[in-house]
Amino acid sequence: MKFFKAVLTIIITIGLVYALNRPWGPVPALGSFLSPFTGFWQNGEKIHDSKEEIILQLDSLRDEVTIRFDDTGVPHIFAKNDFDLFYAQGYITAKDRLWQMDLQTRAASGRLSEILGSVTLEMDKNSRRLGMGYGAEVNVKIALSDPKSREALLGYTAGVNAYVRQLSPKNYPVEYKLLGYKPELWKPINTMYMLEQMTLTLAGRSNDLNMSNVLKKYGNEVIKDLFPDYPLLQESPIIPAGTAWNFTPVNIPDTKSGSVNDSVLINEISESKPEGIGSNNWAIGPEKSITGYPILANDPHLELTLPSIWYQVQLHSPDVNVYGVSLPGIPSVIIGFNQNVAWGVTNVDADVYDRYKITFKDSSQNNYWYNNQWKQTRKREEIIYIKGKSEPYRENVIYTHHGPVTEYHDELNGTINLATKWIGHEPGNSFLTFYELNKAKNYEDYRGALAKYVGPAQNFVFADNGKNIAITVNGKLPLKRKDQGKFLLDGSNPDDDWKGWIPAEQNPFVKNPARGFVSSANQSSTDPTYPYYINWIFAPSERGIRINERLEKMTSANADSLRILQNDNFNVLARTVLPKLLSILRTTPLNASYKAAQQVLADWNYQNSPDVIAPSIFEEWMPILKSAVWDDEFNSPNAPMAYPTRDRLLYLILKQPDAKWFDNVKTPQKETLPDIAVSSFKTAIDSLTARHGAMSPSWQWSDVKGTEIRHLSRSLKPFNAPHLKLGGGSGIVNAITKRNGPSWRMVVELGPTPKAYGIYPGGQSGNPGSPYYLNLLEKWEKGELNELIYLSSPDQQNTHLTSRIILKKK
Amino acid sequence: MNFLIIFIVTAILQLFTPWWIIALVPFLIMIWRPVSSFKSFATGFLAIAALWFSYGLYLHLDSQGAMSNRIAAIFSLPNGILLLIVTTVVGGLVGGLSGLSGYFVRKATS
Repeated sequence: MKFFKAVLTIIITIGLVYALNRPWGPVPALGSFLSPFTGFWQNGEKIHDSKEEIILQLDSLRDEVTIRFDDTGVPHIFAKNDFDLFYAQGYITAKDRLWQMDLQTRAASGRLSEILGSVTLEMDKNSRRLGMGYGAEVNVKIALSDPKSREALLGYTAGVNAYVRQLSPKNYPVEYKLLGYKPELWKPINTMYMLEQMTLTLAGRSNDLNMSNVLKKYGNEVIKDLFPDYPLLQESPIIPAGTAWNFTPVNIPDTKSGSVNDSVLINEISESKPEGIGSNNWAIGPEKSITGYPILANDPHLELTLPSIWYQVQLHSPDVNVYGVSLPGIPSVIIGFNQNVAWGVTNVDADVYDRYKITFKDSSQNNYWYNNQWKQTRKREEIIYIKGKSEPYRENVIYTHHGPVTEYHDELNGTINLATKWIGHEPGNSFLTFYELNKAKNYEDYRGALAKYVGPAQNFVFADNGKNIAITVNGKLPLKRKDQGKFLLDGSNPDDDWKGWIPAEQNPFVKNPARGFVSSANQSSTDPTYPYYINWIFAPSERGIRINERLEKMTSANADSLRILQNDNFNVLARTVLPKLLSILRTTPLNASYKAAQQVLADWNYQNSPDVIAPSIFEEWMPILKSAVWDDEFNSPNAPMAYPTRDRLLYLILKQPDAKWFDNVKTPQKETLPDIAVSSFKTAIDSLTARHGAMSPSWQWSDVKGTEIRHLSRSLKPFNAPHLKLGGGSGIVNAITKRNGPSWRMVVELGPTPKAYGIYPGGQSGNPGSPYYLNLLEKWEKGELNELIYLSSPDQQNTHLTSRIILKKK
Repeated sequence: MNFLIIFIVTAILQLFTPWWIIALVPFLIMIWRPVSSFKSFATGFLAIAALWFSYGLYLHLDSQGAMSNRIAAIFSLPNGILLLIVTTVVGGLVGGLSGLSGYFVRKATS
């Protein structure tokens, strides 16, 4: 009996300990997770003590590094050489953002399933099939063979790993504890994965297939009519119309495409880039500013997440002193300023992602038909380890000279193989562009740095204290015939290959234009006189139009003038189309609730302010109107088709009100623009009423739009930002949509010493238990900026400075 | 006295051993210094519960609940204090059962 009791209680105790020591489904191992000595309790943090000085002895440093923190949590790093500078950047970025770096690297390299299980297997397969690893491997070889990028990558890697090595499990970021895995060591190739991921986000898709489906169904005439290569109604291109092209363009072989008759209907939902991923930047020249020097502004629009995609940092060494935002995982500053220059970026939307139809000789897929002969393929084995499974998933991805091949199955066509030719596979060393911009002293340095850039193509805006402003549509842009890649291409026809590159110096750019400012908002790079084809479709023109109108009128501007423009909520689309639509509603008898909504629109000043109702009605109405016009012809679930652009729809409404497209071909009667305008208006009001009740303050734009900033996990809601009150919208300069928006706002006044301002939604720390997790959010929400503390020495006095960390070599 | 010994020894060992040391210390102490079965359980429970509660409370207050309130929400609990109570009970149960096991082992071998 005595023995029985002893054995029984021991078994119960061991059973309990065992149960608490292992994860159960999504629940982490509760013993260590709940223990205040090892668990999440350890992840609370406090405000930096201003007198605190921490000295750390670290391996492989070459000299002493001082890191000073300011009261917003930004590190200001002072090193004596490049290696130590990037070492410290890696160390301190890992300290604040280790889990983000891990997650994003895993997403890019197709290794999420190792920690998340089979739910992410499809995502991982897509990353592998797209050749993210192939691109990263090619690029890391180049980066490690160049002395400058090698020093940066090795320094950064050593710094991140110095941080990882000293971490004990109780200090792991809380996400590791929740998911039950360990941080791994950083590798130089991870930086390349981060660059690949950026290329994927900004230039990693196209609507070639959906366009081919339109071509197949409606033919060339409809393509010409509804899918023109330049906006019909209004555009304000990045390089001002009329800018002379002072170069002799290289010859593009005028060859016939083999693709036109070979289009396929393929049931692939090709995901188009959501509007709201884009950016604004501009610079005004000295004649427009009150300082007598240029002022530069940039706000990149990306998915708004916690932690932010950006991490602020100042990097100081004997030959550089730069401040701005970095991307965790990439050494150097991506958008920022130094003593002499400032720069920023927006996405170009170049057509650098083309699909080629491939014919294999047989099921071994060892050979494909090209230039009238069988050409050898290469194979790359991809192995994906999956949490909870003993056997990894294996797949041989086939590579042609175009790029990796993906196999699609579809009931109509059977199996189709498509190769992807993508700028993300192009060897290069884009990192050097940022490295050199960090140190740039003048316009020549800027142009030199840009020539080294591959992709994703960006509109690099620039200003210097020599009073120059400039903008360059920059990146390796493929040399193509007009519209090459607008549709699916023929992988067997050499005429469909890219023909080389537009020479870097012939990329569109403008320096000190007569109008006194440069700007970009992802719209058409140039007017149609530019001798090369970059793309047939760019972001809608409204943001660009508004920015250029405001800058045109601006005089005696200071940083605050540009900050106000960044927060501009004016709706150019409404100004363009609403008077016409309201004139239709006025002639239609409407019941009281529709009438009231119509009156709200009629009284609207076209401002997408957070607390008014009109933008909620308008923004609800426009997509419904678009569907009402096009769905009957272009909605085709079996073979998804591209829809005509917003510009084309506006042109139809304003200039072609009798066009046949207004008729719903699926009904016997003939619909007209007024029929569609009224019915879509009613549908919009009904839809708002169904979701938010009868018209009331609950229809306020901020609430209807419901912007949310989510934690990177997407699923841990308590780590999300609180409810926010925000105006703006897609096509608005203040481009805050439900999930995307200004991920960093920066304004820099150039001059003898630069004065700069900036903010992003969130905070420097990725730790939800840190006071620096959300400390910048409220100011961002109000549209305010922080003055950026730009130090010239580690011992400089400044009331905003708090603690310091000294890194010493062991 | 047993309470204090368990509390202090565990507190020290917890700084550099895994969490399950709380299942070992009461066990050994109760073999070494046996009392009644009820007291063995209660002492193990209270010592570990008090240790986890007090350190957890300190960390909760020190960070103003920034992390604990959010984790509580992930587990659908209203606030960090309730999560602290769950933590305390879990730690206490392990400590209590461990103490009871120690007592029975001593009984079975003496």
